[in-house]
Amino acid sequence: MPPNSLILYDLVERFGHEPLSLMKALRERVTSNEIEAPPLNITPEDVKMGLKYAAIEVPSGIRGRMVVYGPLIDQADAAIFMEDAPYSFGCVGCQRTNELAKLLVRKRKVPILSLDYPSNEEEAKDMVYKVKEFLEGLK
Amino acid sequence: MDSEIETRLIFIAPTSDLTPDRIARFIHNLGNEVTVKETCYGAVVEGPKEAVRQTLGEVRKLDPNRIFSKVRAFPVGDVRRCRAHHGSRPGFAQLEKEWKDLCLVEQGLICVEEGERPPTPKKRGRLPIKELRKIVDEVSQ
Repeated sequence: MPPNSLILYDLVERFGHEPLSLMKALRERVTSNEIEAPPLNITPEDVKMGLKYAAIEVPSGIRGRMVVYGPLIDQADAAIFMEDAPYSFGCVGCQRTNELAKLLVRKRKVPILSLDYPSNEEEAKDMVYKVKEFLEGLK
Repeated sequence: MDSEIETRLIFIAPTSDLTPDRIARFIHNLGNEVTVKETCYGAVVEGPKEAVRQTLGEVRKLDPNRIFSKVRAFPVGDVRRCRAHHGSRPGFAQLEKEWKDLCLVEQGLICVEEGERPPTPKKRGRLPIKELRKIVDEVSQ
């Protein structure tokens, strides 16, 4: 998390795992002719799917996003959370969706690594080291 | 679109001596069945998954710790995103932020490569009131 991060995608792939990314999940939608203006539009089917992850009273924006996030969470064997990140890092969208997604990951009881977004060299070294240790430990 | 087709963004870290132009030429010279587009941060490559991965592997060899990559949802030159067609690029703020920080990640990769154990970084504290007052005074002047 965030599922569209370049740094996380690259590190996960570099250390021999398959990253589950938002880009891959959106690929089908943006290349399908059924949706008029993807990824802004969703289909009636998506709305029903969203109910699996977010209740009916949850704002539609969160439910719509969970349609894409949810299946990724279901497939995940492990997760890395990047905390305390600058505002321009991550999906330019809803923080509540991120909170809900993190909750659903925690509920799945998969191994989780929580990191702070690095602001200097020392923190970056520590971050990469922890990511490597975490991913190697999963093998 | 065929699900076997993949689009990838290739980023060059700001500290690298490579240029997007060199990367694009290098990919052209590889002769793989991929489409390549030069961009301000590196290149966009599109083609069959295997060919794209092979291309990325070759490009990475040029500067392993300074070349980064991720997949992209939209195809190359998609009218909804391509600036040549006045497309919007809502994700660019994030790409720019992450691109600027790639030099930090690079240091981490070097550290890991050398088998070094990095020292535990100092814990981030709260902003002292004195510092906050200083910032407020600077802004209000």
